[in-house]
Amino acid sequence: MKSQATLPVAATALACLAGCGPGVQSVMAPGGSQAGQIATLAWLLFGFGAVVLAIVIVALWLAIRGSPRLRTALARETMIIALGLVFPAVTLTLLLGYGVWLMQPDGDHDDRGVMRIEVVGEQWWWRVAYAGATPIASANEITIPVGRPVEFVLNAADVIHSFWVPSLGGKVDMIPGRTTRLRLTADRAGIYRGQCAEYCGGPHALMAFEVVALPPTEFDAWLAREAAPATAPSTDGERHGQTLFVAAGCGTCHAIRGTAASGTIGPDLTHIGSRRSVGVDTMKLTHANLVRFIAEGQHVKPGNRMPEFRIFRPDELDALAAYLSSLR
Amino acid sequence: MRISPSVPRIARLALYGAAGLALLGFLFVWSGVYSVAASRGHWPTMEWFLTFAMRNSVKTHAYGIDAPPLDNTDLVTLGAGHFHSGCAFCHGGPGVPISPIAQGMLPSPPDLATQMRPWRDRELFWIVKNGIKYTGMPAWAAQERDDEVWALVAFLRRLPSLDARSYRDLALGNLQVPQQSGREVATTETASEAIGACARCHGDERHAPTSALVPILHGQPAEFLTAALESYAHRRRASGIMQPVAVELGRDDLGRVARYYAGLLPPARPLNLLPDATAAIVRGRALAEQGDPEARVPPCAGCHGADALKTYPRLAGQNAPYMTNRLRLWKGGLAPGTDGEAIMAPIARALSERQIDDVSAYFASLGAAPGAPAR
Repeated sequence: MKSQATLPVAATALACLAGCGPGVQSVMAPGGSQAGQIATLAWLLFGFGAVVLAIVIVALWLAIRGSPRLRTALARETMIIALGLVFPAVTLTLLLGYGVWLMQPDGDHDDRGVMRIEVVGEQWWWRVAYAGATPIASANEITIPVGRPVEFVLNAADVIHSFWVPSLGGKVDMIPGRTTRLRLTADRAGIYRGQCAEYCGGPHALMAFEVVALPPTEFDAWLAREAAPATAPSTDGERHGQTLFVAAGCGTCHAIRGTAASGTIGPDLTHIGSRRSVGVDTMKLTHANLVRFIAEGQHVKPGNRMPEFRIFRPDELDALAAYLSSLR
Repeated sequence: MRISPSVPRIARLALYGAAGLALLGFLFVWSGVYSVAASRGHWPTMEWFLTFAMRNSVKTHAYGIDAPPLDNTDLVTLGAGHFHSGCAFCHGGPGVPISPIAQGMLPSPPDLATQMRPWRDRELFWIVKNGIKYTGMPAWAAQERDDEVWALVAFLRRLPSLDARSYRDLALGNLQVPQQSGREVATTETASEAIGACARCHGDERHAPTSALVPILHGQPAEFLTAALESYAHRRRASGIMQPVAVELGRDDLGRVARYYAGLLPPARPLNLLPDATAAIVRGRALAEQGDPEARVPPCAGCHGADALKTYPRLAGQNAPYMTNRLRLWKGGLAPGTDGEAIMAPIARALSERQIDDVSAYFASLGAAPGAPAR
């Protein structure tokens, strides 16, 4: 019974390890060269660990069930020196050397074709800025081109956060008052999920984000769209929403480029309608979820810095959500 | 009930005695022979014992409370306004007799103008905040508003020195109560005491509020005033002074009085600025217009300017002490009770003490009308 159960359980655990979710947030599902190296190293370590475990099990079995001759051989001092000292010293040194060689920053001094994106960790969201002719501010979603190295320039505004997109590479801490860097390259288009990997207070667990990797031409088109100011509202409902947005003071914390709203305390909302989520990857971006986040954000994401705006009537919330959705 | 023979005889007798006494006491109460009539008064021994217990309880519980400076006209005037409507019915006041109904209570409420015990400030505070069991003295309606309780204590300190005229000046402010005709007295409520008159504290067409701790309502949006009164009436917004007043107002009254104040032009008021006010106003203006993004403080003007939502208050020309007091209440941890407070409280908590003073001085210095007057 016991031996029957072990195999399926182990297989399930391994499968889960290899593909948590649909492979958008897993070290074992690399989407770029840096992540590939980490995955290679991880597999090597697992393999090596398995070999060592096998040796230990065999030695243990021999020590208990082996013939007296084998047991005497096993207890010899040379055996202890060989397996207990020499073997680990040699193999661990080799592994360390391989790891250091594998993880060396490749071509970090070569800045040609590198795209630079600044990310600031804030309680509890991600401030994103694309350097360029028109600096583009965004939040909680990072779009990158496929095949081009991206250097993330990382900072923290309040406490230590950690930037980690498991499918694209290793994690790097974001430390207040200090700039850290991380270079990643996505080899295939897709969506990769990232997560703050350093406990940073209340809603830390909900401080996630998505990296959207687009083919270069699509990326250029996206960047051009993102650089443009916000679209003007086109329907009465959207216009009413914009009026409410201004009158309720939303623009004192949130910026919408091309309007008077220029707050820098909260996420930039210039193109929020084209993002995939609301409330820092807490919920999918839908009309209903926008309404929910505005009116009961503290239930959706307890402790977040935006107060609940329960002052709005349902029709006003609808207008606001319509306006925000129109900012594509 | 059998007690082991090893227990000494004297102890056994004591146990039986105690059990017997308890049974007798229960039978006495059960029989209803004891009278709870307020008309009869206490036995003198009982009276002494209860008073003894009350005095010592107050002294012990008030120990360790720090009294703020109370010699402040704004505090005294605010306290007077509330005393007149909240306390005078039972405790009387100079020129205000104790209601015969209240006199029939046991113990009958003391006339505080003439026979207040020599309590310390902190003891008066404790009594006003917590009330006293078995006496009919109620606790403060909003337990989270110590600042209001202190205003009343400040007034109680002033009370013994007041005559009928000076009491009326304090309690009724600048209100001129029109004389009612015999028919009016007969068919409506008598108005001479003006218990529920908002203008006693908040002023009217010609007068500013009597205390700078009371907000200027003139020209505020009617929607904001209505929402504020409703939140007091439903006890969502904490105030032991405003809740009893708002509860008395009917839904229509509430809207009407809100529209009355919304239609008033800003009152003439003396602007008492501190010597270093200019620098504070400059700093306050910067905060009001640009905010303090580092501290996550958005610019105040974004929500409190003339174009903001009608459910938001306008702050131009508001009393500085009122604003600093309200901001400090939130900063001190007052739980937001209304939808508006839910937005403002976290911002107030992010303000520094100096920013609170600065921004209040700035808004108070704006002479312009708070909001648009009635057209």
